[in-house]
Amino acid sequence: MNFTKFSFVVVFSAILASPAAAAECGRVTIADMNWNSASLIANIDGFILKHGYGCDAELVPGDTMPTGTSMIEKGEPDIAPEMWSNSLKEAIDKGVAEKRLRVAGKSLTDGGEEGFWVPQYMVDKDPSLATIQGIRANAKLFKHPEDPDKSGFYTCPAGWNCQITADNLFKALKLADNGFERVDPGSGAGLSGAIAKAFARQEPWFGYYWAPTAVLGKYKMVKVDFGTGADSNEYMTCTSNAECENPKVTMYPPSLVETVTTEGFATRAPEAYAYLANRGFKNAQMNDLLAWMEDNQADGNIAMEHFLKNFESTWTPWVSAEVADKVKAALANM
Amino acid sequence: MAAESWLTKFPEMERADLVAIRKGLDEAYRQFSRSYGDVIEAIFDPLLYFLVWFEKLLLASPWWAIILVIVALVYGASRSWKLSLGVVVSFLGIGYFGMWDNTMRTLSIITVCTMLSIAVGIPTGIIMARSDRARAIITPILDIMQTMPAFVYLIPVVMLLGIGKVPGVIAVVIYAIPPVIRLTNLGIRLVDKEVLEAAAAYGATPWQRLMGVQLPLAMPTIMAGINQTIMMALAMVVIASMIGVKGLGQPVLKSITNQYFTMGLFNGLAIVALAIIFDRVSQAYARRTQRHMEGSTDV
Repeated sequence: MNFTKFSFVVVFSAILASPAAAAECGRVTIADMNWNSASLIANIDGFILKHGYGCDAELVPGDTMPTGTSMIEKGEPDIAPEMWSNSLKEAIDKGVAEKRLRVAGKSLTDGGEEGFWVPQYMVDKDPSLATIQGIRANAKLFKHPEDPDKSGFYTCPAGWNCQITADNLFKALKLADNGFERVDPGSGAGLSGAIAKAFARQEPWFGYYWAPTAVLGKYKMVKVDFGTGADSNEYMTCTSNAECENPKVTMYPPSLVETVTTEGFATRAPEAYAYLANRGFKNAQMNDLLAWMEDNQADGNIAMEHFLKNFESTWTPWVSAEVADKVKAALANM
Repeated sequence: MAAESWLTKFPEMERADLVAIRKGLDEAYRQFSRSYGDVIEAIFDPLLYFLVWFEKLLLASPWWAIILVIVALVYGASRSWKLSLGVVVSFLGIGYFGMWDNTMRTLSIITVCTMLSIAVGIPTGIIMARSDRARAIITPILDIMQTMPAFVYLIPVVMLLGIGKVPGVIAVVIYAIPPVIRLTNLGIRLVDKEVLEAAAAYGATPWQRLMGVQLPLAMPTIMAGINQTIMMALAMVVIASMIGVKGLGQPVLKSITNQYFTMGLFNGLAIVALAIIFDRVSQAYARRTQRHMEGSTDV
């Protein structure tokens, strides 16, 4: 970036921001988590808070556990834009009860999504493939890479947590009775490579994956419906348990992905907090953004600019018209 | 701050151009995979069928029969009771600790990789030894094969052939074949010129000179190359399991992800046991077949 232009924008916007607003909001630290979607949201928050609400926003590196703990114990950083709350649910609940934390809203409105997927182009040809009955009836389509007599189900790589859930669901769905056999891709790269190969040749593919990911942004897939809905209780007690003897069919319940702020920030800057409460992404859109980031080797900052410039209709409803104008003005100066 | 100059900052390529190059190459590769993937896959089909058949054979045979066959091979190659007994004990240990099936899978894929490496490597080494131009071309290729991080070529191979045995074999062979090529070349080049002249004086054709003089005299060096190739193939087992090759690599990978120390150690030791068996047997075989040469120099 051109240095002089950048400093000009900073100075200019600092002058523009009314002293009153700056006093309200003050210095705000935002956790920039070390994966792409969280980094993108952190950069968007940083830009909107800085230019729209006159906060002195600063990104600090973060990760789920250390950031969560530090927010509860020290009140720093102020905002965790994409917190996968299941992994430290108790700590967050306690923080909220003790009035140290506030959950502003869902940053991914669909939540983290897992499931068994088939490519969109297959469902376009045969809509029944979006259901598990259709998969069973057409098992012969999904050729096993090594055994022509079998059908292949690409499962989660060995040793990952999802291997337990995918194996249990494979058992519960009795896919083996339809000739399916699990194909262990060995690694995340193996799994996404297998998807890329299937898409390059428009071949059938059936397997486990999760969202939001760049892979699901690049390669449009449909989540197969088991027809049972998600049973959180069954999932927690049995599906996610390696020792579960008699797994039952359930969809993956979505994992909660929230924006968490410190109580101090929420009371100090209620308007900015209201923005965070409104701000949330659909997984489909996040998948696309992640795919764009990967295709363009973009970091969170560049992707933020891309998003704010090209997806105005998405972000303007999150803020008031006045704030939207300020952000647009700052964007035009970039 | 002064304006950036090429003196203080490396005049690097524009990011947009870099992205364009990357995207262009990716797209070209995708096109290639789309147009020729099926054909290339079909070429490798016989290899796949053989791999699957061989693995099924090893898995389906009773364990004692496999041990018997292996011990017979070991004894035939080495004529050493001690070594044969060691092999029996290590296989019994592997079976007892529940690693039999995975060991058979690894054994099958390593055997195929070794045979493939020898079948391709020795002729390549011979070509390299006979032509300086071939050597000038092949040497840098071998350097690339040995130093390029495996994951760099694993992903294109997966995009072309999917995951599983064939891409695994290709990855292993790429990594493991250079020693046998290099040492075949070296061995033949080290054969005494005067011996060759003598053979020529007796009216030996180039083919007779190669088969009757050069290869036998180069054999100790070539065997060292084969030995290194086997070792490197076994070292690649874990990497190959990252693209879905079943075998001892998979539990190792699993234990890395979950910090299962003992599980990793046991499977790692099984790989080591296989390596030692391969090594000792091929060494013993080489020593035994070359004993006549020691004798002839003494006389």
